[in-house]
Amino acid sequence: MKILIADDSRVMRQIVTRTLRQAGFDGHDLVEAQDGKQAFDMVQSEKPDLVISDWNMPEMTGVECLRQLRANGNNVKFGFVTSECTPEMMKQAEDAGAEFFIIKPFTAERFDEVFSPILG
Amino acid sequence: MSDVAALRVEDLQEIVEQVWSSYLDPEGIEPLIPVYDDIDAMKTDMHASVSITGTWHGHVVVACNEPAAKNCSAAFLAMEVEEVGEADMMDVLGELANIVGGNVKSMLPPGCFVSLPTVVTGEAPHYPSAEPVCQLAGHWMGDPFVITMWQSRGDGGDAA
Repeated sequence: MKILIADDSRVMRQIVTRTLRQAGFDGHDLVEAQDGKQAFDMVQSEKPDLVISDWNMPEMTGVECLRQLRANGNNVKFGFVTSECTPEMMKQAEDAGAEFFIIKPFTAERFDEVFSPILG
Repeated sequence: MSDVAALRVEDLQEIVEQVWSSYLDPEGIEPLIPVYDDIDAMKTDMHASVSITGTWHGHVVVACNEPAAKNCSAAFLAMEVEEVGEADMMDVLGELANIVGGNVKSMLPPGCFVSLPTVVTGEAPHYPSAEPVCQLAGHWMGDPFVITMWQSRGDGGDAA
């Protein structure tokens, strides 16, 4: 599978990559975006199977990116990895069509739980 | 101004424990050892912060010294301490402030927004229109770590 990791923090993109590996999800094709706008563009150009996105990013937030993708008829599997977790954000994510909501800090166990049904 | 009295040091402690167990001390051998006295004397020269606006106004600041920032970066990035550069430290401390600030936001009244992180070196940033309302300090691997929540004074106004 091709996975797009969208986060404005290089550190967090690296940690997401490492945690995927620690959770046993090796061998996937990983690509990275540095903000929501770039993620939006890369979903169209790279055609990933899954997007793992931060919420609070410059240019375009993660949820704005997701909403715009859905408005364009794109149904890529999309979910959030974010340090901010409030009931209203979770509802916004769900309403926008997100598949998962992972809260930072996260563990490999949490990744396993969320991504096993998606990545197998 | 919303009352933040409900946010206690124990809440910060819980967030910090999650960060340590996930990234800085997954083996459980190098915890943050709390310091309760003479916190003002703890020398920190790297400060990462996020601002919170909305129904509550203030700042969450994570402060440490360079050796702590290096150890922190090495742990976050799975690198040797000797390989850590300044950009790594800036990125890692910013992410640390983002994680702590984001989790703090979850404990505040609904309708708050968290800014992107800022990292500065040198003297501690000063927020003339805010005051510290909650602080957690400790030593990690012998070096200082101080996490402070500043709340803006006044009736919902953020002058910072």
